[in-house]
Amino acid sequence: MADPIHLEYEVAADDYQTAGTASNSVKETLKMLGIPTAISRRAAIITYEAEMNLVIHGGGGKIVANIDEKQVELMTIDEGPGIPNVDKAVQEGFTTAGDRAREMGFGAGMGLPNIKRNADIFEIFTEVGKGTTLRTVINLQ
Amino acid sequence: MAHSIRISYSACHGCVNCIKSCPTEAIRVIAGSITIIRDLCVDCGECLRACDRKALGLDDDDWDLIRAHGEVDAITDPTFFAQFSSYWHPERAREALLGNGINMLFDDVEDAFDLSAYATARMIEGMSKDQLPLISIYCPAVVRLIQLEFPELLSRLILIENPLEIAAEMWRKRTKSFAPLTLISPCPAKITMVRDPVGNQPSSIQHVVSMKKVVHTLMASGVKVSSDSPGLDLEGRRFAEWARRGGESKHILKFSKRDLRIIAVSGLRNTMDLLEQLELGRLRGVDFVECRTCDIGCFGGIAVAESRFLSHMKHRNIETDWALMPERAEQLDAMLANEKLWKMNEPIPSKQRLPLSSDLSEAMSRLKQMKAVFAELPHIDCGACGRPSCKAMAEDVAREQGEITDCIFKLREDISSLASQIISLADLQPNALKRIQPGKNIKVNAQRG
Repeated sequence: MADPIHLEYEVAADDYQTAGTASNSVKETLKMLGIPTAISRRAAIITYEAEMNLVIHGGGGKIVANIDEKQVELMTIDEGPGIPNVDKAVQEGFTTAGDRAREMGFGAGMGLPNIKRNADIFEIFTEVGKGTTLRTVINLQ
Repeated sequence: MAHSIRISYSACHGCVNCIKSCPTEAIRVIAGSITIIRDLCVDCGECLRACDRKALGLDDDDWDLIRAHGEVDAITDPTFFAQFSSYWHPERAREALLGNGINMLFDDVEDAFDLSAYATARMIEGMSKDQLPLISIYCPAVVRLIQLEFPELLSRLILIENPLEIAAEMWRKRTKSFAPLTLISPCPAKITMVRDPVGNQPSSIQHVVSMKKVVHTLMASGVKVSSDSPGLDLEGRRFAEWARRGGESKHILKFSKRDLRIIAVSGLRNTMDLLEQLELGRLRGVDFVECRTCDIGCFGGIAVAESRFLSHMKHRNIETDWALMPERAEQLDAMLANEKLWKMNEPIPSKQRLPLSSDLSEAMSRLKQMKAVFAELPHIDCGACGRPSCKAMAEDVAREQGEITDCIFKLREDISSLASQIISLADLQPNALKRIQPGKNIKVNAQRG
């Protein structure tokens, strides 16, 4: 099996304007590989929500995509405040987003639930005060 | 796939001005001349605006030839009425056009546009929040752009035939005529709409000519239309509003039973931005989206005769009656029940560009090659390779449609390394001559001395 395709994106905190760049690039890449639209849409949604999470909560961070013949793995790595209660965070409508994010139409508490819904594997490793790593996998077969 | 952009190879100087204007990166300049990747072209006409040498033109039908056969049955995009020195009220234009051998469709057009707005309003009312917003299909370039670049939005396109097509079909049913019908089009996109319809249905229209050509012929023949407006049918004006951005939206809103949240944009950049945001799901709570790839809407089409600013200004002064009278609503309900007349039978298919390879592992190795090539390129998107960007260049190389030395910077690097190779080779000497080295000897002697 060939080495996976590796993509990496830096996402800056509070940068609402360029959020979507990673998502577009992931989608574009999957399109060129001939991955079906239904799958690339899920990957695009996960990446976009992950970007927004980094912008709003994570204080910026990194998005990593690894694509091989079996799966698309998407990881979000930040050194932000961490998530005190993961069970709560993945509930629809739960949010800790500030006023600014909500004014811009974000922070509706749909981010993590949306990611979870679109992923085949969904894992969160988080430590309060240290940061959060989110790993999701979409199976190709 | 049929298209309506014509290339004049003798006029093209290979200047690469057009390649960056294309929203889908469909243009290459290969061997000094333009090539359009037909599968990627949406017929928006932006490249025609970018070309100073008229190397790109419209591939429409021959108006003089069509007229040579006698009276012409014609249908026009509503931009037509604002193309003359004063606004041609559709009701006044009818007689004048007949006098010039043009039987222009009006009543069916009025019905079709009313029906289209009415059907859209009913569809929006019948949809749940997550099925909205719906997207207008009036601009054929937008439909093609979505097929190509935003396939996830295909389900949002309203499954209604273009009202110009509906009108043509209504006219045919009503008159039982088999005579050819000619569309007067403000843009290449609507020319292609007739030649290569999106659905499986063949078009009810046979010929398409550019509006510019028709307007100029009419002007040359000195046709006059009275510009006074009293006593005109203001209801029959509603279709004319579709010529500008927001006209269709207003029509739908006026026919809707509830207040609608609508976004209407014009211009290519706005259209692309809006579709991108829509695809990311950022436009929640919107009911209807109207996009026109031309600035101001169809008034800004590349095939119109009048300045878009002037035609828009003239148009703004006309009055329209938006009230939907009960008897009119009844008529529209009857038309709505006849779904064959207006409904598009099947969903609009995706037309995405082919992947790098149909085999996933092969596609992956080509993608890696593409990334490697891209890393080597200067990333200034100069266009000298004939491609719109370094990224497009890298992709072309990975698709085996180009060489890395097409890049002038890579070529220079190659020449420079070749040159230094030549210099080092020039220093080498055949064995037989190695013994006699006068230069060196002198140097050595001088040092000794």
